[in-house]
Amino acid sequence: MGNVERCDKTLAVNEMMFHVRRDAALRARFVSDLEGLAREFGLSRAEYEAVRDKDPRRMMDLGVHQYYVPQILRLFFGAAHNSNASAALECYQRAYPEETAKAMALQARLERAR
Amino acid sequence: MARLVAAMAMTHSPGLTGWFTRASQEYQQLALQATAEMRRRLEAARPDVVVMFSNDHLLNWPINNMPEYTVGIGEEHVGPAEWFDEWLAMEKYRVPGHAPIARWIVNEGARHGLSLAYLREMQFDDGISVPTHYLNPDAQFRMVPVTMNCTVPPIPTPERAYHVGTLMRDMLAAYPGGERVAVVATGGLSHEPGGPRYFWVDEEFDRWFLDLLKKGDHAALLRECTLERMEAAGSGGTAELLAWVLVLAFTRGPADVLAYMPAVAWRSGTGMVVWNELAR
Repeated sequence: MGNVERCDKTLAVNEMMFHVRRDAALRARFVSDLEGLAREFGLSRAEYEAVRDKDPRRMMDLGVHQYYVPQILRLFFGAAHNSNASAALECYQRAYPEETAKAMALQARLERAR
Repeated sequence: MARLVAAMAMTHSPGLTGWFTRASQEYQQLALQATAEMRRRLEAARPDVVVMFSNDHLLNWPINNMPEYTVGIGEEHVGPAEWFDEWLAMEKYRVPGHAPIARWIVNEGARHGLSLAYLREMQFDDGISVPTHYLNPDAQFRMVPVTMNCTVPPIPTPERAYHVGTLMRDMLAAYPGGERVAVVATGGLSHEPGGPRYFWVDEEFDRWFLDLLKKGDHAALLRECTLERMEAAGSGGTAELLAWVLVLAFTRGPADVLAYMPAVAWRSGTGMVVWNELAR
């Protein structure tokens, strides 16, 4: 099955993100005191560091649900104008250079074909 | 007896509102024309209520307790949820609900062996908000939102979605009222939100899937378009097409594909479809 099957439904980050997204005060703390927030939600050191380092590959290897990964990046970088030119792309390029290069090549090919 | 008057489906990718102009002029035009055509047909069908089948992106339910389906039973639906305002670049909308039909679905579902969660106050992300922006911007149609899980394992199969669709169809047909009901599926086509192929679109899969809809052979579609095939075309996102498969059960025969765009810029295969013939 696909990548989504790799998620660990019991991982603390996955629980934390549900609450953070719905609560402005927690979103502010995510930026100002991630370590404290991580401690309160029971994240492991590895979970906290993967989130802190904005590293999609490490997050997903630990079992973070893939849907939450860009949401985590948006908490750091902001949500507006979330096009492919956004900072999230750079994180994915670092974490998944091959897959991301393939996608960018596809986009370039589609642009040329028009 | 409620009466089914329209069935259609469209992509709900956040790029369609949040960063619309990042796609080519051609795609922007195609998307605008196709959604305008959907809206024209919806208005012509004069529904009293639009039942919108979408999926919850872990917004209404935490990952430790994700129901397969959730029905919004409120008198009014307000979106987008706060966290999505900026991302979707949308103003808040308020759409009247249809509590009697929504509650009927929940209770009749139970009598049909279908365990449906419900929420009186539902939060809305792109799944409901983007189609609402294009199809119901003036809130002229009442809405009953129904979300499904297609992203937290175990992901239901297309057979299951189609089966639930037939139950929903029969339950709505049996509703003791004269309401005219339209059904709209939202989600898909190929994409992998947040996965390693986050920026990829599988054009080949999308065209193949849309061809299956054009052929209109439900048994063939269910046989060929397995969950594995959907997942291979973009994990955790392409399976939003389960909402389309559910709505398929409300239809007969070929679908009109109004538009298709392999829109990498919107991070999703993007399509709009209307069915001409409805079940029974």
